[in-house]
Amino acid sequence: MGRYLGKRSLTGLLTVIVVLVLNFFLIHLAPGDPITILAGMDNPSQELIDITKAKYGLDKPIYVQLWTYIKTLLKGDLGHSIIQARPVSQLIMERLGNTLLLTLTSAVLALVIGTALGIAASRKPGSALDNVLSLIAYVLYSMPGFWLGLMLILLFSSTLRLFPTSGMVDARASYTGIAYVLDVLKHMVLPVGTLTLIGIPGYFRITKASLAQVLKDDYNTLFLAAGMDEKKIFRKYCFRNAILPTITTFGMRLAYVIAGSATVEIVFAWPGMGRLVMSAINTRDYPLLMGVYLVTSVSVAVWMILVDIFYAIADPRIRYS
Amino acid sequence: MGEKQNLLSLEDVCIGYETPTGTVRAVVNATLSLSAGDTLGIVGESGSGKSTLAHGILRLLPKTAVVTGRMMFQDVDLLRCDAKTLKDLRWKDIAVVFQKSMNSLSPVHKVGEQIVDIYRVHVPQATKEEVYDRMRHLLSVVNLPDRVLDLYPHQLSGGMLQRISISLSLIHQPKLVIFDEATTALDVVTQGQVLSEIRRLQSEMHVTSILITHDVSVVAETCRRVAVMYAGHLMEVGPVDQVLVSPRHPYTQGLLASFPSLSGARRRLRGIPGTLPDLKAEPKGCVFAPRCPKAFDRCHESMPPAVDTGTGCTVKCHLEGSER
Amino acid sequence: MSTATISTNLTKRRLREFAGAFMRNRQAVIGLSLLTFILLVAILAPVLAPYDPYALIGNLLEAPSKAHPMGTDNLGRDVLSRVIYGTRVSLLIGTIAAALSGILGTSIGATAGFFGGKTDAILSEVIDIVLMIPTFFLILIVVALMGSNMLNVMVVIGLTSWPGNARLMRSQALSLRTRTFVQAARATGESEWRILFRYIIPNGIFPVVSNTTMQVATAILTEASLSFLGLGDPNLVSWGQMIFNGRTYISSAWWVAAFPGIAIVITVAAFYMIGDGLNKVLNPKLRS
Ligand SMILES: Nc1ncnc2c1ncn2[C@@H]1O[C@H](COP(=O)(O)OP(=O)(O)OP(=O)(O)O)[C@@H](O)[C@H]1O
Ligand SMILES: [Mg+2]
Repeated sequence: MGRYLGKRSLTGLLTVIVVLVLNFFLIHLAPGDPITILAGMDNPSQELIDITKAKYGLDKPIYVQLWTYIKTLLKGDLGHSIIQARPVSQLIMERLGNTLLLTLTSAVLALVIGTALGIAASRKPGSALDNVLSLIAYVLYSMPGFWLGLMLILLFSSTLRLFPTSGMVDARASYTGIAYVLDVLKHMVLPVGTLTLIGIPGYFRITKASLAQVLKDDYNTLFLAAGMDEKKIFRKYCFRNAILPTITTFGMRLAYVIAGSATVEIVFAWPGMGRLVMSAINTRDYPLLMGVYLVTSVSVAVWMILVDIFYAIADPRIRYS
Repeated sequence: MGEKQNLLSLEDVCIGYETPTGTVRAVVNATLSLSAGDTLGIVGESGSGKSTLAHGILRLLPKTAVVTGRMMFQDVDLLRCDAKTLKDLRWKDIAVVFQKSMNSLSPVHKVGEQIVDIYRVHVPQATKEEVYDRMRHLLSVVNLPDRVLDLYPHQLSGGMLQRISISLSLIHQPKLVIFDEATTALDVVTQGQVLSEIRRLQSEMHVTSILITHDVSVVAETCRRVAVMYAGHLMEVGPVDQVLVSPRHPYTQGLLASFPSLSGARRRLRGIPGTLPDLKAEPKGCVFAPRCPKAFDRCHESMPPAVDTGTGCTVKCHLEGSER
Repeated sequence: MSTATISTNLTKRRLREFAGAFMRNRQAVIGLSLLTFILLVAILAPVLAPYDPYALIGNLLEAPSKAHPMGTDNLGRDVLSRVIYGTRVSLLIGTIAAALSGILGTSIGATAGFFGGKTDAILSEVIDIVLMIPTFFLILIVVALMGSNMLNVMVVIGLTSWPGNARLMRSQALSLRTRTFVQAARATGESEWRILFRYIIPNGIFPVVSNTTMQVATAILTEASLSFLGLGDPNLVSWGQMIFNGRTYISSAWWVAAFPGIAIVITVAAFYMIGDGLNKVLNPKLRS
């Protein structure tokens, strides 16, 4: 197992390096001057050009530039957004909490609901319930999240006037304490609902597939032959065998909590990473865009390794190999 | 009458699997009886329906299987008894060593934990220690150390899992144990060991057993009676010293011809040209007729019934009776 | 019989068995019918569309009516005509991006699995790394930097989505290379590369085909998301952009954003269903 984890960690490290190098070359391959990209504005002043040149060693050979770039990043300096006149890392930290509030809530909801529905459908394969749920899963699976968000706004806000359409708090009222929390919860309903609905089919399908597999496993026959209750076999043996793929899927999905909800956040004007990305695109704020990408990919790589470790602990077949 | 001592008796048992393209007739009109303390071997080519019959006895077949006929275990009608009776019977009275023992334990639970669970089905209040004590003894019978209980199935070899399955089948001292190809997946040396262990269990623990195999020599060494199965039919049933010494059915004769001598080197079945028929098609004549060297007109018209030869054997062949 | 004939016969027999099983699979048949319909719409767009999709013909944000069954958008263009023409863009981007990913994945995976050893070790590492890079943001940055034309979008989606295919093809190649007909071909002196292209790839391609079909769906969704972020090709009629335009008017003129979304769901679902069906039919373990 030590070797396995070592190998996975190496892959993670390589991934981070590849992402860094990729970012570096994207800046250089893109049409236009790397200085304008790194400085973060179209017409930088001579002073800013000089500062940027010195900081990233732009007059040095390209491999020195690459090294300087990586060293800067390793210090935690993700660059500077000129448009917002602030360090990229600071901008990201400000928004991260809001995004995690949405994505983590909906990730857990989708896991629980999706798995429960998957188990319900597996109880009687081919039944009306199974067919209806599978159809709904297909439709949701094929739906762009941002469009579903718009439709929920149309239904629940514009028509039924139940929930607010945008933002995280009511800007006109300045709530505090419990009232503030309730206000945020009210604003969360639609975006969380959208993300949950989009996430459900994945868990539904994986649960159904792995249960179908596991119910055919030979140990079922043995336990049945031994006179064990079908319910007990399901609860103790099938469930434990079937749940591992679900947990891995959940773990892997969690890796994308930072950036996975960008388009939905934009629909609901949620003050998270998605909005940050959108404004970076609109104002051509490349340092910000790349900073977000770096943070996302590094966190994905690290998280994936953690998931592997967890999986290795949970599954004895890996633990002892 | 000897009938009373029968532990298990099958009458006209038919088992078919419903598939989208037709019914697979896996067992057809099987009639068989087994008295307490007896050992019965079932031999036949791969796909002849041996496992289907074994699973049918404990009602372990998939929902697609349709079973008709009568299966009596002592005075319990196995096909019609209620769920409770069946559950009480399973493993306590009838246990099975499955063909796929390698996969017959859950891969993510320890062997011991699963065995404790199985034991507690019939003895709910048993402590882990009691079960381990009992298993320790049974494991020593099959030459395994008891540390295997604390391991996961993938940490054990196929042969070890097979032995665990064998000792697990004896945990409640059942009246009948069905060994479904319990030795086929093993190498020759291990196979020999396991077989001699089975023989010892039979004599020491007085278990009645059914030994399913496609290896005639295994039956010759281990069993008292034998049933030869072909395409779902029990072609010839009788004492080993009759069926394997002076076989009456052409299929049995072919089967034996492919084994040079019963104690000599084992060979795969090769003596009979042709292959098993398609079990989905309803055959017009005898299922073996297309491959039978002695087939005559009647053989292509109807399936022969099981005929008692008067020497304790039953044979499904038109040659019986027509000759004499 | 030459080894080539054996291999071809194997492929032919599998194809025939496969076609039968595919047509017995309900979702595959539904998906295929939907796709046929969508293809017809794309091909017959000029005949089916009542108006020029670019022409500013009606009032702004006109509600659905006889003249404009799906209403008009914020510039007075006919939504139905635009939805019909949008089919072409989605299909084009989806299929080309997925085809690129299929070709890349197949060649890389087959090479790794067939040659094994160091080649495999290196290529597998590459596959693992690319698999771990979050793709949507990468696509987004590349399109933002390089310009949002259709070609860029297709190529970038294709270049980032091949590792899944590579993994599938690799495991196929690993098992196929030990098969008798491959060894027979080797014994008759056929070159390794020839064996790779004549025996390994044709016999192992099936899982890649079903995965690639699903990737068409994913690519269509990715393109829609890019367009929704304002990174679509401004010269095209694309469903994602129509939703992007319509989102401002969602309360007052829902039809602008609603209909293109339905079109996306139907198209994407068609490809998922076909891919799923292929998967079930090709993988005996999943057959019920
Ligand atoms: N679930 C099933 N559905 C349909 N047909 C089945 C099913 N299980 C078994 N069969 C068919 O029933 C026939 C008998 O199978 P069975 O497993 O009983 O054979 P067997 O004699 O045990 O063979 P082996 O020596 O290979 O174990 C075979 O033709 C097989 O294809
Ligand atoms: Mg069998």
